[in-house]
Amino acid sequence: MKQHVMGVDFGSTTAKTVILNLAGNIVAHSVAHMGAVSGNGVKHSMKEALDLAGLAQSDIGRTVSTGYGRRMLDEADRNYTEITCHARGAVAMVPDARLVIDIGGQDSKVISVDSNGLVAQFAMNDRCAAGTGKFLEVLARAMEIELEEMGAVALQAAQKLKISSMCATFAETEVISLLAEGHSKPDVLGAVHKAIATRTLGLVGRVGKKGPVVMTGGVARNPAAVHYIQEELQMPLVLPQSPQIAGALGAALIGLDDYRAENRHLLISDQEDMAHEEQMAADKACIPGCRGVPEFAVDPREKQPVAGKAKAHASTESHA
Amino acid sequence: MQRFAAAAHDPLGYAKAWKERTGRKVIGSFPMNFPGELAHAADTLPMILQESEDPITLGHGLLFPFYCGYTRSMVDQAVRGDFGVLDAIMFGDHCVQLLGAADAIRMQLPDTRVIFFQLISSMCDPWTQGRSEESFSKLKAELEDFTGAPVADAALHASIRLFNRNRGLIRRLYQMRKTGAAPLGSVEMQHVVKSSMVMDKAEHTQLLEALIEQVENAPAAAARTVRLHLSGHFCQAPKPEVLTMIEECGVTVVGDDLYHGFRYISTDVPEEGDPIQGLARWYLDRNTGVPCPTRVQNNVDWDAYLLNAIREERAQGMIVLMAKFCEPHMYYYPEVKEAFEKAGVPHLLIETEHESMALESLKTRVETFVEVVKHRQAA
Repeated sequence: MKQHVMGVDFGSTTAKTVILNLAGNIVAHSVAHMGAVSGNGVKHSMKEALDLAGLAQSDIGRTVSTGYGRRMLDEADRNYTEITCHARGAVAMVPDARLVIDIGGQDSKVISVDSNGLVAQFAMNDRCAAGTGKFLEVLARAMEIELEEMGAVALQAAQKLKISSMCATFAETEVISLLAEGHSKPDVLGAVHKAIATRTLGLVGRVGKKGPVVMTGGVARNPAAVHYIQEELQMPLVLPQSPQIAGALGAALIGLDDYRAENRHLLISDQEDMAHEEQMAADKACIPGCRGVPEFAVDPREKQPVAGKAKAHASTESHA
Repeated sequence: MQRFAAAAHDPLGYAKAWKERTGRKVIGSFPMNFPGELAHAADTLPMILQESEDPITLGHGLLFPFYCGYTRSMVDQAVRGDFGVLDAIMFGDHCVQLLGAADAIRMQLPDTRVIFFQLISSMCDPWTQGRSEESFSKLKAELEDFTGAPVADAALHASIRLFNRNRGLIRRLYQMRKTGAAPLGSVEMQHVVKSSMVMDKAEHTQLLEALIEQVENAPAAAARTVRLHLSGHFCQAPKPEVLTMIEECGVTVVGDDLYHGFRYISTDVPEEGDPIQGLARWYLDRNTGVPCPTRVQNNVDWDAYLLNAIREERAQGMIVLMAKFCEPHMYYYPEVKEAFEKAGVPHLLIETEHESMALESLKTRVETFVEVVKHRQAA
């Protein structure tokens, strides 16, 4: 039985890969920009994660894909939507989360989740890139500022301005007009982030406001987006350490569930393993002619297994 | 099936060919409660006017964009001259937008005979049956005036029997659908019902009999993983690509209350007694058969009907198809949502539009819904 599973989030602007061991711990993860040919970005992300883990694709027991390109990944055994995977991944990162706000490259979604990380309700942008990373990208270009710097500059806003259009193209026109009127870049950027926050609150309204709220996706790394969304929500946002990999993590966890369920007969807990060995030792001790030294007796000098780590039987034993 | 699909795809083309073949008159009607039996008995071709697949063009000048896709498409077809085949148009007053569209079409087609058919919308008053009979009598008189010949009770009874036969046959397909193994998919079911709204009823019934024999002897379709009920769309047919997309997500549609579905064929007209009384009875019974949000009936709840249908069909959830700006649906939907949440039955709302629907995004939502239903089932 293989010892690792993989989740791949085939997003619109970045590809994310997470590799888990069978205990559900992250062994490696990677985020790669898609570039012009999206398939290359995904391959790069997968290879990087495999290299970091010291593994080859053939060492992976189950690969699950998600994201807009989820159906295009040949290596994937199954695929799930980004909504299901982000919910699962976000709850794994923040176990008591009840609402997930995910703002990615081309879509934004709000998901209410139950205690098992299962989707209860969801809402997503269904018309255009309004309120997404792409919206920020277009406006960063219009304002001649690096995408990564936008958040920090927007937090310096002193005057409250308003961007009324949520269409990226029309908003670009508004931004250019505001700059032409002499408004400062921080003020205009503040308005841009405020517009995203308002749009996000609209999605929250469709699902129902509740907390704790966790934010995932690339935009969660933008401090101004976080600030304005918190302000609109009037609630704090919990930010995972790696918000971008929530979808890939969710995909990997779903893959792990499937893989473990399929190979249940090969998996036993440490306690079961110890009890089994002790029982076998006791059984052997009663065999006529036995010298009283059970073959499988537990040697107290041996290192004990790590608690919680699943173990595979030898194949001959499992079929016995 | 090809002939059903052809009529469903080009209803006005079918009407034109029928008119050239028979030399008889064609009456186009707004949807909902038009008694096709009466127009059929008056020796005309009654056809329910269908939303066109074309984008709205000249019609933009007559109706605001916040009218539903059906009404805007009706006006657009009228402005573009597509309704030339119609000898008369019958309007109804089921909602404000239909009334607005009726006015716009009347302005555009001053030479086309207009028949306005108004029905009482309060369904459980002591006078509802009587007032409905008055409406059907007036309509009969107007049709007689239009064709210049009386409609005999015997002819009306014959039309009622033919229409009942047609509805009954389609209901047999719906019974098969409940098993989840019907060889017809949602698009094919829509072709059958939609063409029934358009084609000569005798011709349609004959084709239907052959289809049913074929379907009943066909091997059962492979069951998909999730059984769902489709609800909504009171006037226009959901776009075939939306229905296909839903099924591609691993869904078996086991029932619906769509107008281009079970709503259209749910109820028969009594075949005995006074035919006008029978039509009035049919109108009342339709609202208990499949409740309509445009009618008012204190002892009937659409949400309760839907929950019951889902139990009967052993559906695991429901997809609501709401035509954008459909006011009766928007008004009633919160009650359906609340009832379904209370009953713990998963449902997904999809707002549909005449054009510009982002199918890929919709597919992600439907796939997620299917995943939610499966997870709940497994939990």
